[in-house]
Amino acid sequence: MIDLQDQIFSVSELTNTIKFTLENSFDKISVEGEISNFKNHVSGHWYFNLKDEGAVINCTMWKGVNNYVFFKPADGMKIIVSGRITVYPPRGSYQIDVRSMKTAGIGELQAAFERLKKKLLAEGLFDTEYKKTFPQFPKKIGIVTAVDGAAIKDMISVAQRRFPLAELVIVPTKVQGAGAAENIAANIGKLNYLKDIDVIIIARGGGTIEDLWAFNEEIVARAIFKSKIPIVSGVGHEIDFTIADFVSDLRAPTPSVAMELVTPDVEEIKSFIMDSYSLSCNIIDRTLENLKSEIDDRLNSYVFRYPFEKIRKFSQMVDLNIFKLNKQIEHKIISAKNKIMMLNSLIESHNIERTLQKGFVLIKQNSKFVMRKKNYNSQIPAVIKFYDGEEEIK
Amino acid sequence: MSKKKSSDNFEEKLTRLEEITALLEKSEIGLEDSIQIFEEGVKLSKECLSILENAELKVSVLKKELNETNQIDDDTN
Repeated sequence: MIDLQDQIFSVSELTNTIKFTLENSFDKISVEGEISNFKNHVSGHWYFNLKDEGAVINCTMWKGVNNYVFFKPADGMKIIVSGRITVYPPRGSYQIDVRSMKTAGIGELQAAFERLKKKLLAEGLFDTEYKKTFPQFPKKIGIVTAVDGAAIKDMISVAQRRFPLAELVIVPTKVQGAGAAENIAANIGKLNYLKDIDVIIIARGGGTIEDLWAFNEEIVARAIFKSKIPIVSGVGHEIDFTIADFVSDLRAPTPSVAMELVTPDVEEIKSFIMDSYSLSCNIIDRTLENLKSEIDDRLNSYVFRYPFEKIRKFSQMVDLNIFKLNKQIEHKIISAKNKIMMLNSLIESHNIERTLQKGFVLIKQNSKFVMRKKNYNSQIPAVIKFYDGEEEIK
Repeated sequence: MSKKKSSDNFEEKLTRLEEITALLEKSEIGLEDSIQIFEEGVKLSKECLSILENAELKVSVLKKELNETNQIDDDTN
């Protein structure tokens, strides 16, 4: 046995002995503590401290290893790291070389979720005034999701059934694990760059809270908020709420419902068209019916029903006048007749024959009666007319 | 491309159809105009229905290595 007390080491010897002892003794350890001073170096390595009330220990997590961490570590977060102790002789320091990292229980993730939610809420990222409206008939629907998942198949079949007029533009996206959040955010940006996309769906099928965690990352929230195109989120199942759901312009409980929300139903459009058609038909029928009955009304009016009425009225008037005229003429004829009769009787009373009968005579010269002496010519023959005959005088 | 055009017009056609129904309902227009726009409406209805009947969902996948060049795979289903 070597008596350590009597041995004199060089610094390197001692350090290497410590390194050997520590690294052999703490080859596979798990430590729980709170993160402080977290740094994500440009090289991709993570540097941070793990602490509790009484002690602090340095930690490193190398790029490539930290790819498998689904959440983004932040100061104050309680985590459990697994790895080994390494000693760095040039600095005489020791640290944990972290191989894996998880949160110290679900409560820790919940706390991170609540922290971010509170922060973004305060910044106004969830405000309804920023919620964009969705077009009624989207021509191009951008989809940020994994191409190999069930979610995309469901969404395609919903679109096929509801609104096959649309075009789906799928951006294959990593929706789980390290780098997923960055990928989702970048792809939302890509679709915005295309400019002709009418609506974006960000989607992922159901899973554990760890599986869905990318949608709870700040970078995704910021990308959604920044998007000029309206975004609907369909992440997980009915019960899962993510930060992405709060920032999105519309939240759908599942990917399929997300597609339903942004597409009009072709059957509804068809029935709208049919309704418009039959309504138009009814209106035209009614208009024609109204006009017809108006025409019928006119035809049934007095003038059209008795077109000769006026003529009859006039002819009646004519008849009446003729009748009156006849009557007057008749009257005149009768009075003339009376007059004639009167004259006749007068003539009768003066009848020559009766005078001759009484013994008077008449003298005629040249077949004319001579009534006065001055008309009598004694040079020509005369005829004396008696009652009972004539006698010529030479 | 022709399909894209028809779907472009689709929304306009549908809007016009709505207008026509509203116009007819107002009944301020004369019979001849009514019949004219009614005929237009019938034509539009048929066109819209035919577009819907013949529509096929188009699916394209954005290339992964898209570095803002707008390339789209024409994986039309």
